[in-house]
Amino acid sequence: MEAFWVEILKSLVSGLLMGLVFALVALGLTVIFGVMDIVNFAHGEFLMIGMYTTLVTAPLLGVDPLITLPICGLVGAVLGVISYYGLVKYLLRGPVIAQLFGTFGLMVFLRNLALLFMGSEPRILHKGVLVGKSFVVGPGLVLESTKLAAAVLSLASFYVVWWLINRTRLGKALTATSLDRQGARYMGISTELMNALAWAIGGASVAIAGGVLVNFWPVDPNVGLLFTMIAFATVALGGFGSIRGALFAGIIIGFIVQIPPVWDAALGLLGLGGGDAISLHPFKYTFVYLIYFIIMIVRPQGLFGWKQ
Amino acid sequence: MMRKFALVLTVLAALGLLVSGAAFAGAPKEIKIGVIYPLTGGAAAAGRVLRNGAELAAWIANNKIQGVDMDMAKKAGIQSLGGAKIKLIFKDHQGNPQLGADLAKKLIKDDKVVGILGCYFSSVTKTVSAVCERYGVPMINGSSTSPALTTRGFKWFWRTTPHDKWFTKDLFELLVGLTQGKVRGVKAVPRQEINTIVSACEKTEWGSHVSSLIKDFAKEYKFNLAKSILYSAKSPDLSSEVQSMLAAKPGAMLFASYTSDAILMIKTLKSMKAKPKLIWGQDAGFDKPEFRQLGADIEGVLIRSVFLPSVAKVKKVAGQVNALYKKRYGVDLDGASARAFTGLQAWVHVLEKAGSTDPKAIQKAANAIDIPGDQLVVPWAGIKFAKVGNETGQNIKGMGLIGQYQMKNGKLTLQIVYPFDLATADMIYPFKGF
Repeated sequence: MEAFWVEILKSLVSGLLMGLVFALVALGLTVIFGVMDIVNFAHGEFLMIGMYTTLVTAPLLGVDPLITLPICGLVGAVLGVISYYGLVKYLLRGPVIAQLFGTFGLMVFLRNLALLFMGSEPRILHKGVLVGKSFVVGPGLVLESTKLAAAVLSLASFYVVWWLINRTRLGKALTATSLDRQGARYMGISTELMNALAWAIGGASVAIAGGVLVNFWPVDPNVGLLFTMIAFATVALGGFGSIRGALFAGIIIGFIVQIPPVWDAALGLLGLGGGDAISLHPFKYTFVYLIYFIIMIVRPQGLFGWKQ
Repeated sequence: MMRKFALVLTVLAALGLLVSGAAFAGAPKEIKIGVIYPLTGGAAAAGRVLRNGAELAAWIANNKIQGVDMDMAKKAGIQSLGGAKIKLIFKDHQGNPQLGADLAKKLIKDDKVVGILGCYFSSVTKTVSAVCERYGVPMINGSSTSPALTTRGFKWFWRTTPHDKWFTKDLFELLVGLTQGKVRGVKAVPRQEINTIVSACEKTEWGSHVSSLIKDFAKEYKFNLAKSILYSAKSPDLSSEVQSMLAAKPGAMLFASYTSDAILMIKTLKSMKAKPKLIWGQDAGFDKPEFRQLGADIEGVLIRSVFLPSVAKVKKVAGQVNALYKKRYGVDLDGASARAFTGLQAWVHVLEKAGSTDPKAIQKAANAIDIPGDQLVVPWAGIKFAKVGNETGQNIKGMGLIGQYQMKNGKLTLQIVYPFDLATADMIYPFKGF
């Protein structure tokens, strides 16, 4: 019986840590959507570029991967701004469908760019202060240092973005633009600049998420897809444009992905475990998409409504 | 009169060209063989070594090579076809069965290959061989081990490698041997220490068959299979799978993984500080240079293998070819490259026996071929394909090995621990844990 509760605890902790990572990935998406109503299909690719940035610069500069995070942030911000001024600005003139296809095209472009420069094989960091290290807490609960750092960083990022949005003039300007673009413009707030800023923040936060993720998650040119899908589900669940929503929804999704081990533990408790037991592991992410589907039908505005 | 003479001359010239053209067309200078491997994607590491093995074999067949005691090294090209050289046309299936089938069609219709070699992934071999069967084009498979591939009654498919039923049985023989003190360097292990086993296999054609074989043998040998998991080889996160497996407190953990997932499994086990008594991997991902980069972390991991460099101790040609391979590519032959080499070698022998590129002649030759073991780098008794029974096309003279990674003088080596009488070192037991 005790083993069962230990397993539940392990799943809860894993779920929380991973959930905070999912939340951080979704943060950028929700900020961009909040300010300009545009869905960025290339969001996962920004993550992938953040991952490659750390993978490449850490050994190049001979520093610990964690130190390259500011570089990731910079690369992400620059990429976001270039994407805005180079593509999105023009997409905004067209119908919504053009915007969707436009960012989709950006996704394909970035993916193949990565394939060209980095090759198709999955790669993972082998060296680093935190890489491969973990410590044991309590009754056999193993905490991986990299996941812990990722979770802490996620919380820190949320706080920084929240502070930026709610406690600075720039943040207020951003909020104004997202609530009423025309009105904000009349007040002298440049929509162009706010849009670019949204893309910069969005790009930077997800690239930093990538920089931390690559400590324990392999990167290849196609890794973005999984995270884009999860980010969409997270943002839909939390509410498009809601930062608070992204945080809570991310954590919930982190828990959902931990259903299979909980199921296995429950089966074990009932004595139904064993070689022939039905395993839910192949369906880990199916549950995430199922939630996305259900939310779309039951409460389309998500947990925390539309923009906040 | 002149016009008639000119007409006759023209006709004669045309006939002459026709006749000489036919003479040239009779003996092909080049024999094209299509080779379909995963050259990109998560198993690109395997694709690379497979390609290397096949290319080395083609080079040896096409040239007169000193110092290799193989028939195909003695002369240049296929003798029964006028010294024609083998030309390999490589295609990348990226692990996608549908793409593999399309590439096979292209090779057959556009490149007009004489036959096909491939495809490593059993799931791709399945679809590619179906294409070959439909078009009546011979295919030799060197490294796919799903048993189902030779139970389809195909007439144009031959497999040189022994399959997973052989290999999985080897594993259980080793487990039982451990409890009986038959393993070199290990005192008899009490049964309850390794009685609980768990398995995690990738979920395509290959892994899912290994998984069910493990279930069957576990029942037959009376082991307790506490958890049997199928996962996606492309999955970037295996922590929930590993958590479930460790919850069962297994004595032995068994895996069927390709390259990137094998690496991820070990890293995840390490991060969760797993301490099973025994870890065994069904070759594939566990037998690659990229996997070996994990270094000391994988000391003690057992892998089923078809080739280890130490086989050179019992087979001279293995050492000779390995030396050539190492000189060219910088690493030793492994299970994949050795079998790709052997697959192409089988093609050479079949073509030599057929004396023609006609598919029917090749089919007849393949069904009759009997290559002696001393021609092969792999530790098999030979290559002879079953003609009757429910496994037509399967080589009945193959054999498996089980190796263990051990650190010797600071370097990672692979030692044979099974069959017991071929052991090259004491087995490390139990696994030292992370």
